[in-house]
Order: sequence, then C-alpha cells, then structure tokens
Amino acid sequence: MWERIYEILKKEIRQALRDPKLRATMFFPPVMQILVFGFAVSLDVNNVKLGWLDMDQTEQSRSLLHGFQGTSYFSLTGVAHSEKEAQALLDNGTADAVVRVPYNFGADVSKMKQTEVQVLVDGSNSNTASIVSNYITSVISGFNAKTLSSQRGARLVAASRNGPVLLAAPSVEAETRVWFNPDLKSRNYFIPGILVNIIMIVTLNLTAMSIVREKEIGTMEQIMVTPIRPIELMIGKTLPFALIGFIDSVFVTVLALLIFHVPFRGSALLLIGAAALFLLSMLGMGLFLSTISHTQQQASMTSFFFIQPAFMLSGFTFPIRNMPAPIQWLTYLNPLRYFMDIVRGVFLKGAGIDALWSQMLLLGIFGVAILVSSALRFHKRLD
Amino acid sequence: MKFRRFYAIFRKEGMHIVRDWRSLGLALAIPAMLLLLFGYALTLDVDKIPTAVYDQDRTPQSRDLIAHFQGSRYFHITDLNATYSSIEKSINKSNVIVGIVIPKDFGRTILSSGAAQVQLILDGADSNTASIAIGYANALVATYSGEVRDRELSRRGTPKVKLPVDVRVRMLYNPELKSKNFIIPGLISVILMLVAAMLTSLTIAREWESGTMEQLLSTPVRPIELLMGKLCAYFVLGMADMVLALVLGMGVFKVPLHGSTLLLGISSMLYLFGALCWGILISTIARSQQVAFQISLLTSFLPAFLLSGFIYSLDNMPWIIQQISRIFPARYFVAILQGVFLKGIGFGLLWSNLLFLLIYAMVVFVIANKKLRPKIA
Amino acid sequence: MGNGPQPEPYAVVVDQLVKRFGDFVAVDHVSLSVAQGEIFCFLGPNGAGKSTTIRILCGLLAPTSGKATVHGYDVATQSEEVKRSIGYMSQKFSLYDDLTVNENIEFFSGVYGVPKARRQSRKEEVLKMAGLEDRANDATGLLTGGWKQRLALGCAILHEPPIVFLDEPTSGVDPIARRHFWDLIYEMAERGSTVFVTTHYMEEAEYCQRLALMYRGKIIALGAPDDLKRELGPDAKMEDVFITSIEREEAKDDQ
Repeated sequence: MWERIYEILKKEIRQALRDPKLRATMFFPPVMQILVFGFAVSLDVNNVKLGWLDMDQTEQSRSLLHGFQGTSYFSLTGVAHSEKEAQALLDNGTADAVVRVPYNFGADVSKMKQTEVQVLVDGSNSNTASIVSNYITSVISGFNAKTLSSQRGARLVAASRNGPVLLAAPSVEAETRVWFNPDLKSRNYFIPGILVNIIMIVTLNLTAMSIVREKEIGTMEQIMVTPIRPIELMIGKTLPFALIGFIDSVFVTVLALLIFHVPFRGSALLLIGAAALFLLSMLGMGLFLSTISHTQQQASMTSFFFIQPAFMLSGFTFPIRNMPAPIQWLTYLNPLRYFMDIVRGVFLKGAGIDALWSQMLLLGIFGVAILVSSALRFHKRLD
Repeated sequence: MKFRRFYAIFRKEGMHIVRDWRSLGLALAIPAMLLLLFGYALTLDVDKIPTAVYDQDRTPQSRDLIAHFQGSRYFHITDLNATYSSIEKSINKSNVIVGIVIPKDFGRTILSSGAAQVQLILDGADSNTASIAIGYANALVATYSGEVRDRELSRRGTPKVKLPVDVRVRMLYNPELKSKNFIIPGLISVILMLVAAMLTSLTIAREWESGTMEQLLSTPVRPIELLMGKLCAYFVLGMADMVLALVLGMGVFKVPLHGSTLLLGISSMLYLFGALCWGILISTIARSQQVAFQISLLTSFLPAFLLSGFIYSLDNMPWIIQQISRIFPARYFVAILQGVFLKGIGFGLLWSNLLFLLIYAMVVFVIANKKLRPKIA
Repeated sequence: MGNGPQPEPYAVVVDQLVKRFGDFVAVDHVSLSVAQGEIFCFLGPNGAGKSTTIRILCGLLAPTSGKATVHGYDVATQSEEVKRSIGYMSQKFSLYDDLTVNENIEFFSGVYGVPKARRQSRKEEVLKMAGLEDRANDATGLLTGGWKQRLALGCAILHEPPIVFLDEPTSGVDPIARRHFWDLIYEMAERGSTVFVTTHYMEEAEYCQRLALMYRGKIIALGAPDDLKRELGPDAKMEDVFITSIEREEAKDDQ
C-alpha cells in the first residue's frame, strides 16, 4: 500500500514543481498577501488630514493650531475662510475633520470665559471617524490643561490623560495598559490571520484542482482502473498539498517575524499541532469540492464561493463578536474561526493549551468529520 | 461594422449567459452573497465590548464608576467579580477585551479630593477594537471624573471650573456611524468588477479552449463586432447586478443615498464598461480559462477589494501603495460612490474621478480592440 | 458569391508557401492548385502540416513566405474577402454546445451575412441535409459525433460559398456516417462548390479527384489517386503510395 501511495506522491510533486501555474499558486498568494496586509492595508489611523477654520486669528487660536501640528498624527491639509469653504474641504476629501475656531476665541480664553470649538468630522468611514474624533478631543484637552495651568497657577492644576484636573479637587484618571500589541498596530492583528488564509487557499484549492484536472484530462480514469485503493489515492493526492501548505505557513511565519517583527510569544508546537488539525478540514473540503466538480472551472468557482464567506466570517477583519447573533452561531461551524483564535493567541498572547484547548478540540472534531465524510464520497468511479 | 453580425454575436452571448450556470452563479449568487455578508453579517462598528470588572474597593464611588460603564452601549460587562487572573485568562481566551481594575483605596481617595486611579487593561490583539475601546473608556472615565469634581466643588460652594475650551463634535454624512453605510456603496465597485472582469475574461478564453473561436475567426466577423457583441451582452448583465445591489443596499439595508442618481448611473456605466473591456483584454491574452480567471482575480477583484478605499482607507497606506492604487479604476469609482451616497456631493467635486473612468474605459477599449485580431497567430 | 475577381480557373493557388513557428517549419515550400468544382484531399499523418496549411488558406494564420490565393484573393493581404468567399469547418466541429441546432444555424447565418430573403430557406435546406429536421430544437451538445459533424458542415455552407475547407471532418466518426458525409461532399461538388478536405484516413483518398500527400511540412506526392497508384503497379493501394513516398522522402534526407 505504501509503495502505491509513494508513487502517487512522487508523481504529484513532480507535476507540481513542473507546472509553472502551480508553482505560482504555491508562492505568489502568500507573498502577495503578506505584502498587502503587512505594508498596505491597515485599520490604523496614523495620518489625519486636518482642515482649519480660524474665525479669530489670535495668538490663542494659533496656539491651538500648534497643539495639533505638534503631534505626528495631524497634518494641516486645508485652511478655510468660511463655513462654505470648510464644508468644501470635507466634501472633496481634502480634510478628514475641520476644526472651527469661533470669533471671540482668544478674547474669551484670556477673560477666562468658556468658549466653544466646533469640530466637523467626516463620518463616512465610521471606523476612522471615531478614532479621529478621539484624537482631536485629546489634543484640545491638552490645550485646556495648558491654559488652565497658566490661568490659575501651576500648583492648582495638573494635566492628566483625561484632561486637566484641579489639584484641590477629586479626579479620576485612567491608566491604560494595552496587552500584546502595545502600539496597536493593525498589522499585528492581520498578519497572523494571513496564515489561516494561506493554508486554506493553498491546500483547498490545489487539492481540489489537482484531482479535478485529472478527471478533466482523463488520466484519472486511467488511475482508477489500477488496483490502487481509494484511500491510497486520497492520501497520495492530499499529502503533497498538505506539505506545501505547511511549507507556505512556515514561510509566512518567517516573513512575519523577520520583516514585520510580529511577536511570537507562544508555543510553536501548539501552532504546528493546530495547523495540522486545520489542514485536515481544509484537505477534506478540497476532497469534497473535487467530488462535486467535473471541470476545473467549476472547481475554482465553487471554491471561490466557499472561501470568500468562510474567510470573511472567520474574524479576520470583522470581529465575530459584532456580528448578528444568528451569524455568530453560524461561525461556530467555521473551522477558520477556531484556527484564527489559536493563531492570534499563539503569536500575540502567548496563550497555551489551557486557554486554547476548546478551539483545538473543535478544530480536531471538524477536521476529522469533514475529512471522513468527504472520503466516503470519494469513490473510484467517474461520476 | 455590420449590425447583423454584431447582433448575432450579441444574441449568442445572451443565450450563453442565461444558460451557463457558471455565469449566473458569478453574476447573481456571489454578489448577493457579498451584499448579504457586508450588509448584514460583517461590521466594523464597535459596541457591546465585553468587559470584566475587578472591583477591589467596593465603595459607592467604585460602584458609581461601574454604573457608568454599565450604562454605556459600548461596553457590555460580562463579569462583575473578576480577579487579575480571571481577567488574564479571559483576555487570553479572547472572551473579554477590556478589564477594569479599581484599586482598594479608590473611594477614599476621591472623598479626600485626591487623584484616584483606575486601571484599564486592553487586549491589543484586535488593534482596531482596542483603539476604539480606549477612546470610549477614557471618555467615560473623564466624564465620571468631571462629575466627581463638580459634585465636590458644588458641595464646597466653589464655582464650577469650566474648561476653557468646550468641544462639540459633529459627525457629518454618517451621523449614526454605521459602517455598512460606507461599506455597501464601495461594495458596488467590487461587485461590478467581479461580474464584469471575471465573467468577460472567461468568455473569450472559453471560445479558444472549445475551438469555436477558430471557427468564428474564419467567418467574416470583424473584431469590433465580436468585441461589441460580447461587451453589450455583459453590460446588460452588469447593469442588472447594479440594480440588484441598489435594491438590496437601499431597500433592505437602508443605506441612504444623498446625492445625484444621475451621477451614480453615469459613473457606474463608465466603470462597468472599463471593467468589461479589461476583462476582454485579459481574455484575449490568456488562452485558457484557468489562467484568465486567475489573472482577472489578481488584477481586478483584489485591487477593487483591497486598494480602492472600500474598507481599508487609502490615506493610511504607505505612499507607494497609494500611488499603485491610482492605476486601478476602482479607487475612483469608490470615491464617487461614497461621495454620492454619503456626502451628497455632485459633478462639481467628482468630475476628476469621472474623467479618469472615462479615459480608462476608452484606453482599454482601444487596446482590447487592437488585441482582438482576426488571426490565430 | 460573385463579387470580386475570379478570372482564374483555379479556386485555390498555393505557391511556395512557408510557415515557420520559431525554428520549426510546419509548412515547407508547399505548392499546389485546386480547380473550380474539384474535390481535393490533403492527406498525411498527424503533425504533417495539413491543418496549418488549411488555416493559412482560410486567413487564420499569416504565412511566413510564399503566396496563396483563394477565389482570386490573396490570403495574406485580402483575408477579409477570402473569409467571405469560403466556408470552414474546423477540426473540433466548433459548434456551441449550449445552443440548440436552430440557434447555431441562426447564429452562423447572421455571422456569414446570409441575405434576409434566403435565411429561412437556407435553414431548412441545411436541416434537411443534416437530417436534423426533427431535432431542430435539441441542444447541440446532446448530438452524437455524426450528427454534429453534419450540422457543422451545414453551418459552414449556409452562405453558399464557392469554396469549402473541411479540416479532418470525419475524425472520430463511424464508417457509415463517414460514407454519408462523403455523399454530401459529392452533392456539394456537383453543385459547383470546390471542396478542400484534409484527412488522415487513407481510404478517403479514393473519394477525391486529386490529392496531395503531406509529410513533415512537404508535399511528397500530388495528383489523382488512380494516377499515383498506377505508378507503383496494378495492385497498388493508397497505403503503398504513401509508404513509398515517405521512404523516398526519408532517403532524400539521408543523402
């Protein structure tokens, strides 16, 4: 039995290495994804385009502006001289937010009278909008603290994270500690997730394609007439791609660590174990797809149709927690979800088996279930 | 160009589209799935962040602070009796994103007019949620701090300290901050690109593979007729998808449309046309459907998804990537879509985007026409 | 069709035609001519260059050097006119499987520019010729080899072209269907069409009026089947002609 499996393995690997398209599929997606999600895509807000509408033009209003320009988060991209111009800055996207300083700003501040500053934020991208608004209010808090302390004497006022506090009055201050990703870089959030995607794309796609291709060109027929048993054929067909998927994940991990300095705090062994379990379900799906497709066309399209939602609903970009309840229930059936948890847990949190045992278990159960049921469908027949 | 031959091709393509499950699947099922996913399931909106509270103090003051968090829609307290180790465990298991630790002398410090501290522990793995959570949490603590201070000051009879600058934030365009309002308009560009480029890229490659292309080329059919016939047939399909997206997006998911439908119509037709021509161009270069599919995935779907500003904002990408995104039409179309749906802006501000779409469509059309030669080699 | 030059008695004239793909010479200085109304066969093993030659004659491939005219038009510079004067049936029969028989006919009608007045009658004639009157609304993909073959022929002659090129029209079709097909070809020739057929079946050589044997891009024998056989002896068969010609050719190479 093992010789037969070995023969199939040999053939598959030879074919895989010789076919330029296959070679491309092995290396191109991982590299491209890492490049895109490592360098390009992010949900971070690093650069806020600020518009400025200063109706006052005094020393105080300019001092407020310096408060913004002094940080690395803001760049002044537009100056407006009227409400209309301010609106235009936002309409045409020149500014993400416009700060409107009212007419008597400087005078009120010197007279220790409360004045109001209006901030118009482009709320289109709701995600960045809340972050932008937070940044702006914190700069203004800083201005408040500075002003208060110079108004009333340094002894009485201190600046705190939440704004100026009077030393003679009670105050509450929050000390924030961010675990695992202190700089809150979204690439640390994305890149481990890429591992999941790569394994899925490579193993699922390649497995399904390789089987269906043989069906299409007719060599499958030839193989099926030999004494090889279905299980041997399956192992021979899936093992090479499991290997390739594995190599790809090591490749992605190395890139992640070396180039992007994504932390790796957990146990490599745990990750490998989880990857192996995840591979089971992906190989199983690949097998399943090959049993329902007769042409490579059908195979690639069906896999696309399956991979997209599976990946979207895995918690890669969009947290599962925020999804509607019925969808959250649905994701319990998605092996990617568990692997995503594990991968993030191992890379970023240094989580161990005690935290991740339930995900491992479910991953294992799904893996075996999918693989077995697909294997049962895989007959040595052409239909 | 003879109308008769064009019409024969157009009619044939239409029949293929209607009878081919592949085309229908791509054209209807996948867009519908994407709309459902992004309209219903996926969201970047952050609220009900699972939070655990470790109250070492248990005084009226600490309970007051906790009440602020409980009253906020952004936080969902799952554990009121946590400990350091239980918070650590929950964060490790990703059950909880925020842990609030109130130290033992919290209430006493406040009563003695001191600066009390609260510790916020955040799971930074999901950096996006964490960033937003920090903002909200700090705001809540600041509000509580202000209340505490004002209560004390009014007890003493001292006039309240007013902040020199009061900030009023107005969220324009999407006041409820619903992420689907900006994702779904952008999704239209992905859907159209998917249908247009991917489907058309398969059509000519399929004819090569089955041999019918050779047959066609031996007839008097001219390249322009072939091109136009296929373009028009898929154009109809693309427009049908546009309508589907609008109906689902606006009717079911209630995404508001503030701007001009005319601009929306024109820009989507230009974009669709350009995408179709691109697909046909790919198809003439790739002689097999497999290759055509991969190339179209790589050059139309992915850029439309990742580099158009549809979810991931372009401004925060490295400069070089931003420049790369300029060669893809999706970015311009997404700008128009978001502008028309959310901002209600019109031709005046969006004309440059429209111009690019027009130029792109024309250039790709000309190239596709040239490439579709009446010879095999 | 009637419009354009056709002063020559020859429907197809090929003069020192060469086609190179990189270093590989697919068509090596081929010269021949086919008279009007003649049934001309192009015989040879697979890879000999038959399909390449026919594709050049149909304006599908550009020649590397040499000249060929079809119906008086130069295939290199006047390929559009050539295409209007010919019917071509490709090796794969190239019909649209998901269209019905009728729909395929209508499509090719439109594409060949069959005049409005003739469309209906031509459709009926082709259906009758192919024997598919009862199956006009069946999906083409469901037809078996022999039927597809006849439908493909029908679609190629909807516009009644003076010259018809058939590339391996009988490959993969059972002998009885093949015989019927040749009956159709004879009918076409009787009506005045010139038929240019390529095949690798030796027995079909007997059916044509003149033939050319092609081997490794060269024409190694040219003439009427009977004349070629007579050269070898009273009992010679086509295979003998073929084998002898090849041996002669290989001997030339060895020198």
